[in-house]
Amino acid sequence: MTAQTRGPAEAADRGTATDASRADRPARPTPRHGRDHALAYLFLVPSTIVFALFVVWPLGDSVYLSLHGSDLFGGASVFVGLDNYRDMFTSAEFGKVLLNTLEFVLLTVIPGVLGALVVVLLLEAQIRGTRVLRTAFALPFAFSVATASVIFSVIYNYQIGLANGILGFLGIGKVGWTTDPHVAMFALALTTVWMNLGYNVLVLSAGVGSIPAEVMEAARLDGASGLKLVRRIILPLLSPQLFFLVVVTTIQSLQSFGQIHILTKGGPDGSTTTLVYSIYKKAFAFGSSDFGTASAQAMVLLVIVLACTGIQFGVLQRKVHY
Amino acid sequence: MAEPSSSTVDRAADRRTPRRRISAGKIAVYVVLILALIPVIFPIYYAFVGSVMPGGDLASSPPRIFPSGFHWSNVTGVFDSIPLGRQYLNSVVQAGIITIAQLITSIFAAYAFALMPMWGRRYVFGAFMATLMVPAESIIIPNYLHIGDWHLLSSSFGVVIGLVLPFLANMFGTFLLRQAFLQFPTELRDAATMDGCGHLRFLWRILVPLARPSIAAAGVYIFLTAWNQYFWPLLVTRSASQQTLQIGITQLRNAEVGDLGLVVAGAALSVIPTLLIVIFGQRYIVRGLTAGAVR
Amino acid sequence: MRSGKFRRRLAARALVGAAALALTATMAACGGSDSGGNSTDAPGADALKNVKSPVTVEFWHSMKGANVAALKQIVNKFNAAHKGKIVVKPVFVGEYDDAIAKYKTAVQQKNTPELIQVYDIGSRFMIDSKQTVPMYKFIDKDKWDSSAIEPNIASYYQFDGKQWSMPFNSSMPLLYINKDLFKKAGLDPNKPPENLDEIEAYAKKLTNKKKNIVGFNAAIYGWYLEQLMATNGDQYCNDSNGRKGLATKVNFDGPDGVKLAQWWTSMVKKGYASNTGRTTDAAQQAFKSGTVAMELESTGELRDFINSAKGKFSVAAAPFPRLTGSGAPDGGTIIGGASLWIDGIGHTDAQKRASWEFVKFASSPAIQALWHTGTGYFPVNSKALDEPTDKAWVKQYPQFSVAVQQLHSTKPSTATSGCALGVMPQARQAAEEGLEKTITSGDPSTAAANMKASADSLAKPITDYNKAVKK
Repeated sequence: MTAQTRGPAEAADRGTATDASRADRPARPTPRHGRDHALAYLFLVPSTIVFALFVVWPLGDSVYLSLHGSDLFGGASVFVGLDNYRDMFTSAEFGKVLLNTLEFVLLTVIPGVLGALVVVLLLEAQIRGTRVLRTAFALPFAFSVATASVIFSVIYNYQIGLANGILGFLGIGKVGWTTDPHVAMFALALTTVWMNLGYNVLVLSAGVGSIPAEVMEAARLDGASGLKLVRRIILPLLSPQLFFLVVVTTIQSLQSFGQIHILTKGGPDGSTTTLVYSIYKKAFAFGSSDFGTASAQAMVLLVIVLACTGIQFGVLQRKVHY
Repeated sequence: MAEPSSSTVDRAADRRTPRRRISAGKIAVYVVLILALIPVIFPIYYAFVGSVMPGGDLASSPPRIFPSGFHWSNVTGVFDSIPLGRQYLNSVVQAGIITIAQLITSIFAAYAFALMPMWGRRYVFGAFMATLMVPAESIIIPNYLHIGDWHLLSSSFGVVIGLVLPFLANMFGTFLLRQAFLQFPTELRDAATMDGCGHLRFLWRILVPLARPSIAAAGVYIFLTAWNQYFWPLLVTRSASQQTLQIGITQLRNAEVGDLGLVVAGAALSVIPTLLIVIFGQRYIVRGLTAGAVR
Repeated sequence: MRSGKFRRRLAARALVGAAALALTATMAACGGSDSGGNSTDAPGADALKNVKSPVTVEFWHSMKGANVAALKQIVNKFNAAHKGKIVVKPVFVGEYDDAIAKYKTAVQQKNTPELIQVYDIGSRFMIDSKQTVPMYKFIDKDKWDSSAIEPNIASYYQFDGKQWSMPFNSSMPLLYINKDLFKKAGLDPNKPPENLDEIEAYAKKLTNKKKNIVGFNAAIYGWYLEQLMATNGDQYCNDSNGRKGLATKVNFDGPDGVKLAQWWTSMVKKGYASNTGRTTDAAQQAFKSGTVAMELESTGELRDFINSAKGKFSVAAAPFPRLTGSGAPDGGTIIGGASLWIDGIGHTDAQKRASWEFVKFASSPAIQALWHTGTGYFPVNSKALDEPTDKAWVKQYPQFSVAVQQLHSTKPSTATSGCALGVMPQARQAAEEGLEKTITSGDPSTAAANMKASADSLAKPITDYNKAVKK
């Protein structure tokens, strides 16, 4: 981010910028009794219990499981040290899983954000009916991963689905949307991009909407219009939202499960087995119950997501402080 | 509450629609937008139209995009195949409990973080925010094992508890509300304290009513997220009568392999509530989304 | 058990204490403590005598659609007949794979159901789990006459000559034929192809790309490979198909598996077959849509196929094809499906006995006739075919006689009783992966390497499993 965009960017992010200054100083100017401090901690107790039970403890367990072999029923048996990790990192299968994950993230994040950006910019072209159009583009947001995947599974059906029906009608051969290893990942990504589009459009519209009207007017008076306006004013001012969207949709993609479970089950030929799906497969599918390996993979997922959030926090820290 | 996003979006849209002549450029924009809209809207159209198409239409060759007739048998068939009403109720209960519980835990925590003196606030807040970095999928195995260890999977009541238990608190809501509470003029809080108003009373009597728009935004967001959950309910629920809507319609697809119309109808029926929320509650969603811009 | 270790090692337990205790107190309703808790012996009929309140039998199953309706009918009949004594509570726990995964967790958490339906390939695991009361113990105790149970079906669930579980829903694969498409292609549906080569010749004539018609289709389902190997008289895993001892190796990377992979790949490549993927759902949809001339599917699908085709086309059933020629003399199809297992560990004598009462009831001729006619599965009780309801049904679906013939003509042998392997579910997945990899590559010459890679990937799971069992 360049220095020149920094100022307006903060303005665009008003909600978070204003509190930054305040959170760091003591909330009360006057000194308080220790009772207030204690009460503040008491207010945190409900959240603390939930986080301790369902985040911290399981995290410890995941580490524990990942260092142990599995008995007949999937339970932790003997301590195996880093064997699970070694087996995982030396297997070609896991390398493919990581590649698939990367491919899925790239195929969903880039088209998803760019597509939404184009739509939002077009909606800014001073036309009528913007609000109706924006709502229309936002509609996929209403679809849960399950609903969207079920609908797409009907469309993708090889022999009788609509997609192949249209291709057949056009005289093009049928495509194995979910059964061809070269296509399945794209089909999966298409569904995901569709699902995410609504969310992305809403976030970027809000970003554009928060650009002060005066800035836009001033730019227009200076003769900026069309692409020039976009490149010089809107894009720089929108960069915080764009950045946010890239990070958030990346993390979402990393965590995607439902569409894979419903549409491809990680196939064909393992071509859509991403990290999360691989965890599921090792732990719960085919009566496998290999919690040791699955937990080792879960740790890898954790590290990747931590890295992504770390990058996000690192970048945002420059303009937002907690 | 100075809340930037939702209202400004609409204002921005209105503001930039002066009455001008429609130019060729604008027509081009319309054309591109409409062309882009077709693939976006089509699956939704297909889901709803497909649910009232006569049996063979969905599988006919060449494919039918407009129904050859209108009938309800797909829709009624869904109810024969899965206990959809029950699953609706399950989802409402599941998402409802999660929403209310998260709002309560978040309001308390957000208030403590925003407006109360607290030793080591920075570090405590940082530690709490760190929970957002842990993807649920990375700890889903132990969570599942624990829920089972507590014998929550052997009864329908237990399953409901198991469905919501890990989600009774979340830093997303806390963060969002903390943002809102921070906008609150401290003078008012001080004045209230002068009048002998304690923290609890101040929080529930004054702050919460004033922060209603932000709480509503958080609530809508939490509700949608909970409603759309897939992985956790898949693991935790067993019988069809325990399943949430999301799992139910997936099972419908597995069970009704031969009847695409039925499957599509199930999907369409399940999406109606969230579709209404997106159409009519958009401004709350946008508020939640943008506050999350520093998730 | 894992649960104990888990508790011991976790320092965080104190934190949970209150919440967990409260939950456990309210939830731990099942698993009384009168007697029998840790034994896998069969209690006698007196176990139910002193029972005051009705004994609940939680019954995990994986039945869907029409099958679950028939199942509920059976359960309701049973509950009505045992009012005040026994209540059977059927619980759908997902597909067979999911069910066994959930069962594993339940063993660790000590909350297994009283009764569970497990698919054929989970049998070895169920024995090794040492959780269940073997059926033969009940049979011996009661001197129950088990001769009416179809010997060909019962043999799958016999180990060392003893009956470990009770077959419940049994099926075999058949070759389904779309008669109309046969006639249009000038073929006689009464002379179906008998082996893979003949299928290819037929499919060539049947395929019509313009009309979106393919000659052959089947899900890439490991079951079919297992069946085709059995028709060739070959064993799927070593140590006499795992019946003599713990098998240590699978054989699907041998000539049989390679032959199937090559054949299937070239079929798809030439366009004579479509690849609808590994799920049977998609393959079934394809056949029901009338665009597939020949399809491999289970007998259990017969009724559904015929009903779905009504008004569109007519369905014929033919014997499952052989891998080559007319098959091996001791070869044939394996009887698949699932069986019922009674859990012993953690259950009272009354619960075990109650489960056994239900198992007996479910395998009686009248109930099996109801089950058979309601679902299309084989009646596991041979007397069921004499029941009037059954006779009427067979008249309505004459195609079913092909299945009965196939069942009765199969000679029980090492090959046809199927492979008993602890990690059989994973083995099936691996075989499917090898097949799928070859088919989707479009290159038949990769078959051997792919099947071998799949078989090799099982080495570690098999070793681990056998180690865990011997411990």
